[in-house]
Amino acid sequence: MTPIVECLVAFLFGSVAGLLMQRSRFCNTAALRDAIMFKTYRNTKAMLVAMMILTVGFTGFMSVGAGHPLQFDVGLNTFAGLFLFGIGMVLAGACTVSTWVKAGEGNIGALWALIFTFVGMFLFSLVWSASWWPPAPQTMTGQINAPALQLGFANAQTLQDKFGIPAIVFGLAQTAFLGLLYRGILRRERAQHAEHEKHQKEHQKKKAAAAAAVEA
Amino acid sequence: MEFFRKTLDPIIALAAIAVLDIFMFLLMGAWTVGGGETMMTGLVAQAVLGDELGRIPFWSIVFPPHADYWKIYISLGMLFGAFVGAVASKEFYLRVPRHLSEWVLITIGGLLMGFGIRLAYICNVSTFFGLMPEMNLGGYLAMSGIVAGAWVGSLIYKKLLERDV
Repeated sequence: MTPIVECLVAFLFGSVAGLLMQRSRFCNTAALRDAIMFKTYRNTKAMLVAMMILTVGFTGFMSVGAGHPLQFDVGLNTFAGLFLFGIGMVLAGACTVSTWVKAGEGNIGALWALIFTFVGMFLFSLVWSASWWPPAPQTMTGQINAPALQLGFANAQTLQDKFGIPAIVFGLAQTAFLGLLYRGILRRERAQHAEHEKHQKEHQKKKAAAAAAVEA
Repeated sequence: MEFFRKTLDPIIALAAIAVLDIFMFLLMGAWTVGGGETMMTGLVAQAVLGDELGRIPFWSIVFPPHADYWKIYISLGMLFGAFVGAVASKEFYLRVPRHLSEWVLITIGGLLMGFGIRLAYICNVSTFFGLMPEMNLGGYLAMSGIVAGAWVGSLIYKKLLERDV
């Protein structure tokens, strides 16, 4: 594909994704924050469903060598970067995706968050240019590199190559695990619902008793 | 149209996005956000600084700015799609944060997100909808990082809420 066709396909995908997220109010930040802070799972469930579909789809195609998996070494910076990101998204009230979606809805705060995401990236470019860490893609080896705190590269494809078991088998195992998490959330929601109903009934009983006492 | 009147179930929305993302994975690569933003940062920095930008090695080695980088257009597409959705459902209006504390939190949050994305080479979308489904080792590292970060962020947020109350 030529770069222009790639850009057009990307724009089309982004537009549909943006429209669907705007209409569903889906937010990645809420998927984590609401589960942690408020024990509500509306977005978490949607995220898990997408992850299950994608795991089967990606590992299925990877089993036959199709698709374009991400190729870069990971290490301490992967954990540390997303740790900072996790704090940032809760403070900003939106992740990179929802900042674009909210900006499209006219949210000036989201636009402000985006501008400072860009500023944060530029600041990192200065820090990287002084530290040269984490390693640039050109110097990534795919192997463990202890001095650079890198663990190398591994995914469903490398598992398939190493063990001779199709990638989809690993994918199905991960999907089953995600499915268990999903089931756990449903159980928790049912328990929350039952608890809520119990409280409501007790409240109504008390109200009725108080009304009866007033009448008497 | 019904679609623009009722809120869509996020499970249906995300399932549809996931199916489209599988096509993206086959054509170019999984849904990602962060690379496009970095390229936009580079393009803006190039427009402002000109040749001076060459003095910062990151922009010549890791991310030489190119306007025809497809990831930029995923983000612009999301902005456009959300704008169309908001206008069609009469939900578009300017919302401006009222308190100074909100502006401060958003600023710090934005800076942390931008810095974190580049430090990790990925963002949360690539974590959930790219690396994890590819069973990349980085997906598990990133997932642990973002859950720990969201937990710490929530603690900070709770403290701030309590102080305001």
